[in-house]
Amino acid sequence: MNPDAIRVSGLSKKFTFPVKESSSNWIRNLLFPQTREITAVDAISFAVKPGERVAFIGPNGAGKSTTIKMLTGILFPTLGEIKVLELDPAKDRKKLAYKIGTVFGQRSQLLPNLPLTDSLEFFGVMYDLPNRDIRNRIRELTDLFQLHAFVDQPVRKLSLGQRMRAEVAAALMHKPEIIFLDEPTIGLDVVAKKSLRDLLLTINKEESTTIFLTSHDVGDIESLCTRTIVINHGKIIKDLPTRELARTFVYEKYIDLIPEKSFEHFPDLPEGIRYLTQNKNKITVVVDNNTIGLQESLKKLLDLFEVEDIDVYSADLEAVIRHIYEKVPHERTPTRK
Amino acid sequence: MISVIREIRFAWYATIKNIQSSAELRASFLMNVVGMAINNTSFTLLWILFTQSVGNINGWAPKDIVGLVGFGTLCFGLVFSIGDGIRKLPEYVSSGSFDRFMLSPKNLLLRIATSSFNASTLGDVVFGIICLTLYGFLTDASGLQIALMFLLIIFTTLTFLGVAIAANSLSFLFVDARAVVEGTFDLFLTTSLFHGGAFQGFLRFFFILIIPALLVGTLPVEILKELSWIKLILTGALSMGWFILSIKIFEKGVRKYESANFITFGV
Repeated sequence: MNPDAIRVSGLSKKFTFPVKESSSNWIRNLLFPQTREITAVDAISFAVKPGERVAFIGPNGAGKSTTIKMLTGILFPTLGEIKVLELDPAKDRKKLAYKIGTVFGQRSQLLPNLPLTDSLEFFGVMYDLPNRDIRNRIRELTDLFQLHAFVDQPVRKLSLGQRMRAEVAAALMHKPEIIFLDEPTIGLDVVAKKSLRDLLLTINKEESTTIFLTSHDVGDIESLCTRTIVINHGKIIKDLPTRELARTFVYEKYIDLIPEKSFEHFPDLPEGIRYLTQNKNKITVVVDNNTIGLQESLKKLLDLFEVEDIDVYSADLEAVIRHIYEKVPHERTPTRK
Repeated sequence: MISVIREIRFAWYATIKNIQSSAELRASFLMNVVGMAINNTSFTLLWILFTQSVGNINGWAPKDIVGLVGFGTLCFGLVFSIGDGIRKLPEYVSSGSFDRFMLSPKNLLLRIATSSFNASTLGDVVFGIICLTLYGFLTDASGLQIALMFLLIIFTTLTFLGVAIAANSLSFLFVDARAVVEGTFDLFLTTSLFHGGAFQGFLRFFFILIIPALLVGTLPVEILKELSWIKLILTGALSMGWFILSIKIFEKGVRKYESANFITFGV
């Protein structure tokens, strides 16, 4: 049996930083600052199998990037254990680097003033590939990522979409077993996003590369990842197949009401139901299933409005994720009704 | 052994790529090289004129200033041409672009050092070589003195490298350490190019053992003049000590690195 590609247990990361004490004068604040400790990642545990495609999602400041940085050896954990391809990133950083690839959407790894082909060659030499293998791999990636049109251009002159394709290609020069992607589609247009996602799927299929991705883009999660781990306030709040994400978190239903003629009045709604849109030709309400059941809410709405048609539907994945992000863990756990 | 060869091969390759990258911006490249040579020439002329007007100070003649500036500019040029990345460490740390070096399968310090090339420092290298050659002629250097000069270039470069690494590693300890690093390093650099005859007593002790500025130019010139083996051993031991200490400081600093999420570009 293959060992896990990534295995994390009880992983925590704490940061300390100086804070300004309003009751103290500036000299005291400068020389003897108070410090505050924050727990960016709080005792998380999970495992990823080889070849899996995992989305690691959460709102800003949830601990996604900190986790990815610990998995890749950039940051040292405060507590807990990490094994990536059976290596400890904090101790075997160099060894691990030969086996993983990384793409940070906000951070380029390419040589800005030289042609893209030089950057790819640079990565090949950095990973100690023989010259012939470097040439072959550049040719292979140029074909796969369709880099022909701009492979000879200086990197600083590439469009954002072209550059991101190039970044991923560079990260794959040494055929890594895992690729970590932190916001890879940030700032890309829809065509560039789709192209990048298709390429990552191809790499996952053809080279069995494990994909570990953080993104705020629902499209990345839906189309790329079979599994989603949700993190918030440093804790994992859900770890489940992506297709079950919406089903598990749906505690709200949307109801469209179409009038017989037109709506003239918009009365106050019962507790647990609120207006999303209200106009003469259509009302959309949101029903909180934790407060009021669907059947009861339909009865009450039909008492209030004369309608010709009703449409009941669940939130799409984007709305589901928005709800997850808005929730504070421990405060309220979504339940299905 | 194989891994050492691979490290050196990649460091050399990275340097060549950095030179190519700088040379892409040709006008700026040439301006930098020529500009630095002019800057050094005027600096040296000022010191020579000063020494001629006040006469010898503690046995230091105008020709010794040529040797002092030669050692200083040559080791400055050698360290910050190939290893200009060391000077960028505060920027890398504060912006979070240090992350990409942590992801490299190569020696971290070597990778950072060879991440940038500064064209203007080529002017320093050329100027330093000219000054030391001239100093050799002016002092009618013997074969032993010429051999010592090569050894001292290694020692001074090691000291310079060590102090540069140690000073720039302060950036791991402070949030925005650029001013602290520049201030600390400038104290060392300015003193190392100062008239060697000016340091006596406590000042001499301080700028040899605490801030090793006199190891860069003053002691090497004195060693060549006096053929002092004690000073040679002291210079060699301190330069090795500073180099080893700086690597330890750097490694400790890396453990404190906290990354950042600013948008950055380039290797």
